[in-house]
Amino acid sequence: MHMPSHRPFVLRRHLNKARWFTLSLVFALLVALPFVHLYQTYAAAHAYDLLSPSERQIYDVMEALTGPFTDDPAADLDAIKGNTWSATFWSLKVSDPLAPLGQMAAGLSVPSLSFNWPFVITALIPVILTIVFGRFFCGWICPATLIYELNSNLAAWLRWAGINVGNRHLDRRIKYAVLGAGLIGSMVTGSVLVAGIYPPAIIGREIYYAVALGGFGAGAVFFLATLLFDLLVARRGFCRTICPGGALYALLGRYRLLRIQRTVEDCNDCAKCNAVCEFGLDPLRDGFGQECNNCTACMAICPTDALTFNLRLADLAAQGPGHLGKRYRRQHEPIIDEAA
Amino acid sequence: MIAGAVAAASPVTSPEARTRPSRRYLRPPGGLPEQDFLSRCINCGQCGEICPNRTIKYFGPENGWDSLDTPYIIPREKACILCMKCGDICPTGAIQPVKREARAILDGVKMGQARVNESLCLSFQGKSCGVCYRACPLPDIAITVGFMEQPHITDKCVGCGLCERSCIQMPQAIRIIPNDR
Repeated sequence: MHMPSHRPFVLRRHLNKARWFTLSLVFALLVALPFVHLYQTYAAAHAYDLLSPSERQIYDVMEALTGPFTDDPAADLDAIKGNTWSATFWSLKVSDPLAPLGQMAAGLSVPSLSFNWPFVITALIPVILTIVFGRFFCGWICPATLIYELNSNLAAWLRWAGINVGNRHLDRRIKYAVLGAGLIGSMVTGSVLVAGIYPPAIIGREIYYAVALGGFGAGAVFFLATLLFDLLVARRGFCRTICPGGALYALLGRYRLLRIQRTVEDCNDCAKCNAVCEFGLDPLRDGFGQECNNCTACMAICPTDALTFNLRLADLAAQGPGHLGKRYRRQHEPIIDEAA
Repeated sequence: MIAGAVAAASPVTSPEARTRPSRRYLRPPGGLPEQDFLSRCINCGQCGEICPNRTIKYFGPENGWDSLDTPYIIPREKACILCMKCGDICPTGAIQPVKREARAILDGVKMGQARVNESLCLSFQGKSCGVCYRACPLPDIAITVGFMEQPHITDKCVGCGLCERSCIQMPQAIRIIPNDR
């Protein structure tokens, strides 16, 4: 697409880069935290001379990185712990909304337990943010999204190389059934089973297992299976059609305030937005719905900046063909000529 | 699909499997009774990540799918030093917060109870040892020694496992019997 060089700077075109930065930052943090913990245990043991060479390497690197900020790593580096499922920042505890929901379901089979208010409150911040920004967690924070989007790129390269990869269409409503089944399963077994089928819960602890406890666990196998599912069956199939947490976020974000919408006067019907949308939505025909995670990939690719943010509780009704597009001009230009 | 796989694999979680000696494990200090613990724990892994000794490990599917990714302690491998950080960080209350003082720990922690096997214990075989007594964080409260430093466990024992970890006999002459499982 030819771009005039005097084109003004439009911030929203660059939000997608900020999103990639955020995703990478969260993932880097999930990798760094287990190493921080290893370093803490080495420091607490006061036995540098007994560490193996690889352990010494970890110790030295972490000491160099954290040395400027702390003299007492065993105590001071406890400030940030956890992962995207549940985390502690100093004394603030933040949890994924699915965690208290799954726990409530599991608690139904144990009559001695009362409603766990202190834990439910830890999900308050994510719930409020989701009500305002929709399913933003899926696009901006989820550590699985980073890997799934790279997986999508791999699929695109394979397709370009002539290798057939899966592009089956599956019903999005399956994930609401998976959410229900996960909660019922948690209720029946009295254990929070949804944590085992939810990638943002799996990835953080699997990285911790691999770094600190010597190897991946069962969750890594599940996550690998979802990657293969995305590659061989349906593009981004897990997030679009199966993820139970995505289903919960979509329901919470149904009446979100911040929405992407199309300015029909600026749209030229090029359909790049539909091609780039990881969740398979239809920005070209104003079809966003509760599935949109405000990832801004469509804004970044739009050659005419026709996609904008707006504060509304509902999407616009379908606005018809874009006014810069051929179809609209064919319909309307003769009339304009007559008027002139 | 997933629920089916879980159902197919769940015979592992029979009550008998829980009490098999080979599956003897402790929950972190302050942990709720087993059924309550399983329904509270969300498998976030923060207790292990705060443990300064890397004592807390996590189950794979070998102990049943309902305890997948829940924390456990095998005192023979690494015993709990009763730092009480895991209860503070646990967001769900599956591990209850307990203050790091003798009285609070005696009231709030019951991971298990040490038991001495007198036919294995050196002190009962005429070789004065006393290692378990010296390892105990609550000496003279949880464990007392008599003639030839023969250990006697009181019912105040919280089950941290430092005695089992330090026992110089193999197999250990003093072992923790997990609580209410």
